[in-house]
Amino acid sequence: MSATSTTPAPDALEGENRMDDELAESIEHAAHLLPQQGPITVFIHHNTLHALEDLTFDQALRRGAEVFGCRTYLDEDRYRDELIRGRIRFDELREVLAEDLGASADDPVPGFGTRLDLRLAMLQDPLRIGPTEELVWYVAEYDALRRTRPEVSSATRARLIAETRRWAMRDLRPNGHGDPIARLIGPNGPPAARIEDWSDAEWEQFALGALWRICGEGVRNLPPPPAPTPMPVRHRDVLFQATGHDADAMVHPPLIRLVAAFLDQGLAAWTLPGRDQGFFSAFLALYARPGRLPDPWRRDLAIELRRLIRDRVEPLESVQRSLDDLGVGRDERDAFLSATLLALRGWAGMIQQVEERSDRVVHPIAPGSLVEFLAARLLMDRFALAQLAREILGYEGPLSGLREAIRQRASGPRGPSVEQRAFLVFQLAQVSGASPDVLDRLNPAGWAQLVDEIERFGSLDRRRVFQLAYERRFQTRALDAIAIHAKDPAPTPEHPRFQLICCLDDREESFRRHVEELAPDAETFGTAGFFSVAMYYRGADDAHAVPLCPAVIRPRHWVVERPIDEDAGESRRRHWGRRLLGMASHQIHTGSRSLAGGALLAPMGVLASIPLVARTLFPRLTARLRQSLGRIVLDPPRTRLQLERTTPEPGPEDGGIGFTVDEMAEIAEKVLRELGLTDRFARLVLIVGHGSSSLNNPHESAYDCGACGGSRGGPNARALAQILNDLRVRGLLSDRGLAIPITTRFVGGMHNTSSEELILFDVDRLPADHREDMVGIRAILDRARERNAHERCRRFLSAPLTLSFAGALQHVEARAEDLGQARPECGHATNAIILVGRRARTRGLFLDRRAFLTSYDPSHDDPLGTILERILMAVFPVCAGINLEYYFSSVDNTGWGAGTKLPHNITAMLGVMDGYQSDLRTGLPWQMVELHEPVRALFVIETRPVVLLRILGRNPGLRRLCDNRWVVLASLDPETLELSTYRQESFEPYRPRSGVLPGAPSSADWYRGWRDHLEFATIRDGQARPRPNTDSIVSR
Amino acid sequence: MHQPAPQWLIWTGVVVVAAPSALCLALGVATAIGRGPSERMIVRWVQAAVIAGLSAALVVLASMLLLGTRHVAIPMGDWVAIPRHYQFAVTFVFDRLSVPMAILSLVLSATIGAFASRYLHREPGFRRFFALYAIFLLGMVVASLAGTIETLFAGWELVGLSSALLVAYFLDRPAPARNGLWVWTVYRFSDAALLLAAVALHHIRGTGDFVRLLGEGPWPAGEADLGAWPAFGIGLLMLLAAAGKSALIPFSGWLPRAMEGPTPSSAVFYGALSVHLGAFLLLRIGPILEVSPPLAAVVVGLGLASAVLAYLAGSVQTDIKSALAYASLTQVSIIVVEIGLGFRYLALVHLLGHACLRMLQFLRAPTLLHDYHTLENALGGRLPRGRSPWTTRAAGRIYRLAIEQGHLDGGLVEYVVRPFTRALEWCDRTERRWTDFLDGNGSRESERVPPSPVSIDEHS
Repeated sequence: MSATSTTPAPDALEGENRMDDELAESIEHAAHLLPQQGPITVFIHHNTLHALEDLTFDQALRRGAEVFGCRTYLDEDRYRDELIRGRIRFDELREVLAEDLGASADDPVPGFGTRLDLRLAMLQDPLRIGPTEELVWYVAEYDALRRTRPEVSSATRARLIAETRRWAMRDLRPNGHGDPIARLIGPNGPPAARIEDWSDAEWEQFALGALWRICGEGVRNLPPPPAPTPMPVRHRDVLFQATGHDADAMVHPPLIRLVAAFLDQGLAAWTLPGRDQGFFSAFLALYARPGRLPDPWRRDLAIELRRLIRDRVEPLESVQRSLDDLGVGRDERDAFLSATLLALRGWAGMIQQVEERSDRVVHPIAPGSLVEFLAARLLMDRFALAQLAREILGYEGPLSGLREAIRQRASGPRGPSVEQRAFLVFQLAQVSGASPDVLDRLNPAGWAQLVDEIERFGSLDRRRVFQLAYERRFQTRALDAIAIHAKDPAPTPEHPRFQLICCLDDREESFRRHVEELAPDAETFGTAGFFSVAMYYRGADDAHAVPLCPAVIRPRHWVVERPIDEDAGESRRRHWGRRLLGMASHQIHTGSRSLAGGALLAPMGVLASIPLVARTLFPRLTARLRQSLGRIVLDPPRTRLQLERTTPEPGPEDGGIGFTVDEMAEIAEKVLRELGLTDRFARLVLIVGHGSSSLNNPHESAYDCGACGGSRGGPNARALAQILNDLRVRGLLSDRGLAIPITTRFVGGMHNTSSEELILFDVDRLPADHREDMVGIRAILDRARERNAHERCRRFLSAPLTLSFAGALQHVEARAEDLGQARPECGHATNAIILVGRRARTRGLFLDRRAFLTSYDPSHDDPLGTILERILMAVFPVCAGINLEYYFSSVDNTGWGAGTKLPHNITAMLGVMDGYQSDLRTGLPWQMVELHEPVRALFVIETRPVVLLRILGRNPGLRRLCDNRWVVLASLDPETLELSTYRQESFEPYRPRSGVLPGAPSSADWYRGWRDHLEFATIRDGQARPRPNTDSIVSR
Repeated sequence: MHQPAPQWLIWTGVVVVAAPSALCLALGVATAIGRGPSERMIVRWVQAAVIAGLSAALVVLASMLLLGTRHVAIPMGDWVAIPRHYQFAVTFVFDRLSVPMAILSLVLSATIGAFASRYLHREPGFRRFFALYAIFLLGMVVASLAGTIETLFAGWELVGLSSALLVAYFLDRPAPARNGLWVWTVYRFSDAALLLAAVALHHIRGTGDFVRLLGEGPWPAGEADLGAWPAFGIGLLMLLAAAGKSALIPFSGWLPRAMEGPTPSSAVFYGALSVHLGAFLLLRIGPILEVSPPLAAVVVGLGLASAVLAYLAGSVQTDIKSALAYASLTQVSIIVVEIGLGFRYLALVHLLGHACLRMLQFLRAPTLLHDYHTLENALGGRLPRGRSPWTTRAAGRIYRLAIEQGHLDGGLVEYVVRPFTRALEWCDRTERRWTDFLDGNGSRESERVPPSPVSIDEHS
C-alpha cells in the first residue's frame, strides 16, 4: 500500500540528528501560530494574532486572513450600513482614502477621473459579482440592461442618457463603412430605424446595452490577473477542492476523541490507558490493537502502527517518515506543518498550552506532546487519504504523487471570466457616470490599466479603508471630547470625604462616575485590579490556592483566609456540613451516570423537577431562598487574612504564608505612588476589587478581573487595605516620605460586575467613629450600585427602558442567577479607550463605559516618567490584549471567536466544543461581542510627548505595538492640556474638530431611552440637555 | 365495557390536545404569511398554550382520581372506514400510562420553553426554534394520548421530524446538518418498522385500536388477542421501532450526535422526552409482550446489551453532553429491561423520574465548571479521579470498545449504508449506460458543469 513507509537506509543515518533538530524547530515554528488560549477556567485575554505582532496591523491582517482563512474586517455591507447611518462619515472616508493613497491619489484612471474618484466609487456602492453562468443569466433575463442600478442618482442617470444620445446621434449614424450603431443595439434593443423617436427609457436601454457590450469587448483580450491565492499544500485541501471529499471528516472524529481523552482533566469517569506514557504511545496502544474494524483505512493504519511499535519508531522520526511518504519537501515543510497543525487548531493549541503551563492544570502532560500529536495525526491523514484517493479517484500510486495527480486532473483555479470583469466595469461606469463613448474610445492599454486599477482595489483593501474611516470617526469623537472636557472638568474636592480605589476596568468607569455624581465630595482612583498584591490565595472555603495576579507573573507569596478564633468551632461544624453535602451531591452526580446508581436514583428523580422548575421560572427568588436557608444552617464565620510571614522564605505552609513588613511597605508604596495618592488622604479609603458571577456560562472567567489572571480581585483589595492599615507599614512609609494620617483607615471590598453586589471586608474592625462614617458611605455606594445597574440595563434588550433604579438592580441580580441567561453582563464589549492620567482631567465626562481609567499623576513623577513606565508596562499588554481579542472575535466570530454559546459543550474541563464534536472553540462567544464596535484601542496618556518617546525607546514591546499600529497612542500634555497623536516615531499636535461637548445634569439624563453606543458628554448640574446627537439614531 | 365519561371531561381532554395544535397552527400561519411574530409575542403564545394544556391535563387527572375512572377514551371519529376491511380511527385515551406521560411532556416542555425564551434571546433562529418546539410538543402529547396505532404513528412522526430539524438547527456549519441527517435516517428506519407493524396489525385484526388489540382492561391490565407467533413478529417490528427511537443497539450512535442543537433542545428532547418514546411504545404494547415470552426475552436481551454498552461508552466520554447522553441511554435501556421483565409500574416510575433528573442535569451542563469548583471547595480537595475498574490487560480492549462506542456507527456505515449506496450506484451506472446508448452520444450534460466555487473574497 502506498501509505506504508520504508526504513531509512544506513547511510542516511548520518546527519540524522541535525535533520531531527531542524524538523523539531520547524514544528515549533509552525506551532507559534496556534491559539494561545489556556484552560477556560482561567480565561486570559490576549491578542488573537499575537504571533504576527512583528508585522504592521494591516500586513498582519492580510497574512492572518491567508494563513487562518478567517475574515479580518467586518463585511462590506456592514460598513456601508454604517456609512448610511452616519457612523462612518463620507468626508472622513475620503480623507483616509486620500491619506492611504498619498501622492498617487491624483493619478488619472482612464475614463474614471482620478484613482481617488474610482476608489471612492468602489467604496460607496456595493459591487455585485457572481459565477459567470449566473452573471450571463442575470444580464440576459433581468433588467440589468434596461434600467440603471438603483444606487445611481437620477442626475447621473440623466447625464448618462444625454451623453449617450449626443454620441449616438453625432458619431454613430450609418456611414460608408457600415452601421456602427447596430453593433451596439443588440438583439433586444430598441429599433434603430426610429432612433429619433426613442423615449428616455429606450435611450436608457440603449446606453446600458452599449455600455455592456463595450465593456465586454474592452476586457476581452486582457491578460489574467496574478493568481490571488496560492495552491494549498495539504493533500487534504487539494483533494477537497477538487472533489469535495474531506479526509479530515474521517480523521477528526477519532482524533478529537483521543486528544480529549488525553487532555481530560477529570470529566470522564475513566482515564485513557497509558496516558502517562505520552500521546504517541497511547495512540499506538489503542489503535494498533488487532481486531475486526469496520473502516478499511483504520485496518491499514493498525497494520502500520504495529510495524512502528516493532521498529520502536520515535514520534519525531515518524513525522519525518510521514512527510517523506506524503512527498513534502524541505521547501514547503513549514507551510505544510503549520497548515496541518491549524487544521485542528483549538485542540493543538490546547496541547501546547497544557504542555507549557503545567502549573495551570491538575493533570499535566509531558513535554513534546505536540510533536507526538502531530505524528499521530499525520499517520491517520495518510491512511484516510489513501482510502479516499482509491475510492474517489481510483488512484493507487504513492501518496507523494497524489497532489500532482489531482492537479493534472482538475483544471487549476480559473481567473475571472470576461463577463465577470466586464460586469465590474459596467457597474462602476454607471455609478460614476462614465459614458459609453468615453469607454469606447479607450485603447487596449487603457483598458488594461483600468481593469488593473479596479482589481488592485480588492475587497480586503476596500474593507481596510472602511475600517480606517470607521475608527477615524471614533477617534475624532473621543479625542475631541477629552480635549474639550479636560479644560473644564467637574471639580475635584480639596478635602474628600472618602476615596474609592477601583480596578482600571472599563466596567468600573460608570460605577465611579455614579459615585462621583452622588457624592461630589468623593474622589475615585483606578489601578490594575490586583493592587500590586501578587499572591496565591486560598479562601476559608476554598480547596486550593489560586494565583491572583496578571498571567505573566508567577507569584512568590501565599495568603490564606482563616476564621477568627471565636468562630473556629462554628467554622469546623460548617466545614463538616459542607463536606457532607458536597460528598452527597458528588455521589448523585457520578452515581446518576452509572448503571445501578442511576437506577436507584431515578425513581426519586421526580423530585428534581422542583428545583428544575423553580430555578428556571424564578431564578432570583430561588437564589435568595437558597442563600437564606444556607445561612440558617451554616452561618459563614468571620475571617481574617493571614498576611504576615514569620519565616525568611515564603511558602504555602504555616509561617511561610504572607509577606514581611518590608515587603508590605514596598507594595503599599508602589500602589500609592502609581495612583498619585500620596497626600490629601480622606478619613476612609475604600479599595474595591471586582469579579463576576453567573450561571450556565463556561466563559465565566472571561468576565472576571484580567489583572487577577481571570479570577476575582476581592482578596487583593482586602489584603492591600489590611497592609495599609498596619501601623508598622505606615511607619516605614513615612520614613520614605509618604505619611498616611493616623485618622485614615482603609477598607477592602469586592464589586460583582454582574449582580452589582458590593461586599466590604473587615468593617467590624473599624474604630467606632469610622464605622459611623461608613454608614453614610455605604448608603451612597448602594445608590451607586442601583444607578450602575440602571445604566447597564439600557444595553439589555430584555430589560425595559422604563425600569426604575431599584428595578434595574433586581433585574441584574436575577440575570446573575438565571440558568437560562446567556448574557449575564456585557463584559468588555464596550472597550475602546485607555486613559492614563489624573481623574481630575476626566471627572464628569460621560465615557459610556468605554474607557479603562488608570490613575497616574505626572506631577508626582520624575521628569523621566519612571512611574509611568512601570504603569504602561502593565497596562499596555493587558488592555491591548483585551481590545484586540474583542476586535477579532467580533469581526469573524465563527473564525476567531467561539461562535454562539447555545451549542457549547464543555470538554475535558479545558474548553468548549460546538455540539457533539468539533475543534475546541477559542476566542469569545458571540453573546459577549455582539455589542462590540471593533476599533483599535486608543491610549491617551497624560504626560509630555517627549516622556512617552523615551519610554517607547526603552521598551521595544510597547514600541512595536504603537509603531505597527496595533494600538493608537496619544498624549495629553499635563500643563497645556494639548493632545498629540503618535505616528511613526513622533508626535503631532491634534486639532479638535468641534468646539463644544453636549452636556446633561446627570448620567441618567444623558443615556435614558437609548440602547446604542452614545456620544460622550459633560455631566454637570445645571447643564441644559440638548438632544443627544448620537450616531445611532437607527437602533439595532 | 367502560362507563362513558361525562361530556365536560371529554372536552377538557380535547383541550390537552387542542392547545399544542393551536400553538403549532398559530406559529406556522404567522410565519407563512410573512413577517413572523416578535420574540415577546411567541413567548406569550407558548405560555398560553402550555398552561392551557397542562391545566386541562391536571383537571383530567384530578377528576379521574375523584370519579375513580381508569380509562377515558375520546373518539375523534373514523377518518376512513371501509366496513370489514379497513378503519382509520383517531382516538385519544386517558389512562394510567398516558396521563403521567402527557403531564410529564407538558411540564418539561413548559420549563424548557421558559428557559429557551431567555437562552435564545436575539438568536436569529428564535422563531424557527419555537415552531419546531410546538411541533415537538404536539407530537409528544399526541403520541402519549394515542388510542390507536395510527394516532400514535402521527405523533411519533411529528416528534421525529422536529427532532431531526432541531439537531440540524445551526445552518452555518456542516456538522449539525450531517448529524441531523443521521438522526433522520435512523428515525425513518424505525418509522418504517412501526408502519409495518401497524399494517400487519390491520391485516390480522382489521383495526388499529389499542382497546381492541390489547384487550378491554385499563392499562396495565389487558390481554392481547393475538397468536404467539404473530405477536412475536409484530412485537419484533415494534421493538425495532422502539430501538431506533430510544437509541438501543445498534442505533445508539445517534444519541450523542443529537447534541448538535442548542442546549435546551438537547436537554428536553434527547435527554428527557423523545429518547423515552421507544420505552413508552413498549409499555403501551405490554400485553403483546405477555403473549410471547420469546419476544420478552429479546426485549430483555437488547435492553441489557444496550445498558452495558452505554455504560462503557459513557464512562470514557470527555464532554459533558455526550456523557449525559450515554447516561440517559443506560437508564432507558434498564427501563426497557424492566418492561421486558413485566415490571410496568416500576418502568413507568423509573421513566418519569429519570426524565426529570436528566433534564435538570442537561440544563446545568454549561454550569459544570462552576459546579465542580463548588464541589471541590466543599470537599476540600480535588475530586477523586476514576480509573477503569478492569485489569490492565482487559482495560485497553474495553477502553477501545468504549471510546469507539462499540463500533456501531462504523459498522452501520460499512455493512448497511455502503452496500446500499453501492447498489444504487450500480443502478445509476446501468441507467447511464442505457441513456448514453439511446442518446448516441453522452447524456446528462449538466453533470459535467462543475459546481460554482464558493469564493471568499478575503485575499484579493
